[in-house]
Amino acid sequence: MLSAKSLNLRYGQRRVLHDVDFTARPGEVTAIVGPNGSGKTSLLSALSGARAYDGEIRLNGLDLRDLAPARQAQLRAVLPQSAEVAFPFTLLELVRLGLSAGLARAHPGDPTTLVRAAIARVGLAGHEGRMVQQLSGGERQRAQLARVLVQIWEPVLEGAPRWLLLDEPVSALDIGHQLSIMQLAHDYARAGGGVVAVMHDLNLTSMYADRVVLLQAGRLRAAGRPEEVLTDHDLSACYGCALRTNTAPPGARPWLLPQSAAT
Amino acid sequence: MAILSPSEPMTSGDRRARAATLRALLVLGLVLVMLAGLGWGAAGQTDVIGALLARFGLAQASLAEMTIVWDIRMPRVLTGALVGAALAVSGAVMQGLFRNPLADPGLVGVSAGSGLGAVAAIVLGGLLPAPLLAMTEGALVPLAAFLGGWAATLVLYMIATRGGRTSVATMLLAGIALAALTGALTGLILYRATDNQLRDLTFWSMGSVAGATWAKLLVAGPLIAAGLLAAPFLARALDALSLGEAVALHMGVDIQKMKRIAILSVAASVGASVAITGGIGFVGIVVPHLLRLVQGPEHRGLLPNAALLGAILLLLADMLSRTLVAPAELPIGIVTATLGGPFFLWILMRNRALLEG
Repeated sequence: MLSAKSLNLRYGQRRVLHDVDFTARPGEVTAIVGPNGSGKTSLLSALSGARAYDGEIRLNGLDLRDLAPARQAQLRAVLPQSAEVAFPFTLLELVRLGLSAGLARAHPGDPTTLVRAAIARVGLAGHEGRMVQQLSGGERQRAQLARVLVQIWEPVLEGAPRWLLLDEPVSALDIGHQLSIMQLAHDYARAGGGVVAVMHDLNLTSMYADRVVLLQAGRLRAAGRPEEVLTDHDLSACYGCALRTNTAPPGARPWLLPQSAAT
Repeated sequence: MAILSPSEPMTSGDRRARAATLRALLVLGLVLVMLAGLGWGAAGQTDVIGALLARFGLAQASLAEMTIVWDIRMPRVLTGALVGAALAVSGAVMQGLFRNPLADPGLVGVSAGSGLGAVAAIVLGGLLPAPLLAMTEGALVPLAAFLGGWAATLVLYMIATRGGRTSVATMLLAGIALAALTGALTGLILYRATDNQLRDLTFWSMGSVAGATWAKLLVAGPLIAAGLLAAPFLARALDALSLGEAVALHMGVDIQKMKRIAILSVAASVGASVAITGGIGFVGIVVPHLLRLVQGPEHRGLLPNAALLGAILLLLADMLSRTLVAPAELPIGIVTATLGGPFFLWILMRNRALLEG
């Protein structure tokens, strides 16, 4: 379980999260959605231990403040929205950096096999020798995901679930890769791990999330199953535009159609 | 030499084997260059091997040869190797810390800070209470240089880094300001210097390993060695840091602790180096850059190879400085700056995007 209680976060004088309660369960994909500036990334960075916060965050029942960075890295890995690579690493070398974090040493077999498996999992097999700087934006995003996967390859280790925290994992990807990466997140959860993803695409959210958390201006607006949260009323109010949710066939997950601002 | 060609197609993407091969070559190279450094000098060809073995009763050598090899050239060669290693490793560590291939202790004011510490100790050291002076005798200059370098690195890092991002422009400009400020303070202190001190300081500031003695080496050597030995423990953290501070934290790096160790290790090795040899520029920027081209940026392989290549380059530069205007000697700082300056400009041209970004 990854949970937060009465979470408050400030950047200087500006308060970006107000008393947010949050729960993500292992075995599920939890999506954080909301308009720009609603605090999605702030919530994720607090959960990842990167920001000082007021309130309480628990990772597998342990107070996050009691966990040293090295211990946190064994339990969860974080995919940033974007990461500049300062030096000319090859794709393989970049992904291999994930080995030194986490508990890759616990992984049986040759670590290089694990690195290559992760590269193949994100669809970049055959590109190992390319320089990261020469990859396209989408390829770079997937390369970083492979590095993150290597860090916590087994979704469950010694009985404890491990966590993938993803900040807009598919925003730079074409639709084919969007689906395959979301499927990857879904599979990780179904294997017993936990996934928390900041999402922009509400249809992908509806397709892959087991639970959706909707933020508005730093506050929790709604949380629950996709069909409970992704409603015309909440979404239109939150995003400030007209949206129509459809459920067809009845009982299936909702899909959304934005309505032209002119009508 | 296919192994050294950066353009070699790399389907595996793994350059660790290259780093290992290169390390073996560099070890061999260092041994050869050190032997050459011991044998090369105004006294003509010396039987180095004989003099080395004679020390352990394994060969015969004349007293003159023993003196030249063991008392004059040995401390000089060891100092050159240690300082070269220290400068190159410090360069690599600073570049990793600032996440920028253009950081260098000489360039961003760390050496200037060390220089200020050293000059202050040389000129003003006599003002210390006699018992304290007696206690720190000999160690005062390296210690002051270490403190000066440490303070400069710390100030620079605090100014140039905001919210986990280090701005290159800020770093370089702050380095210039820092160098100017320390230069001015050094100038002020020089007003108090005697003529003899002034002469010494002038040559010292151009950089030279000619003044190396066993006594100086015994004081500065451990500080340099401490800095060098700390570096390998930073390798993993520096690798993670090349993806940014947030990512490094997510990978389990204790950022604050790692920065403290990095800054201390740079200050110790650069400070002690500056204390014995004065300002020797560009080794710290040239060596890591060349190595990254061949073996990639992984610090686990980069740091030890930087130490070896830095030692080799400085010893070669020292041999040049001894022979170019023989029987006089050119300060080694002039040699490294003459070779390193254009090289730096070349890196700059290739990396313009880094500065503009």
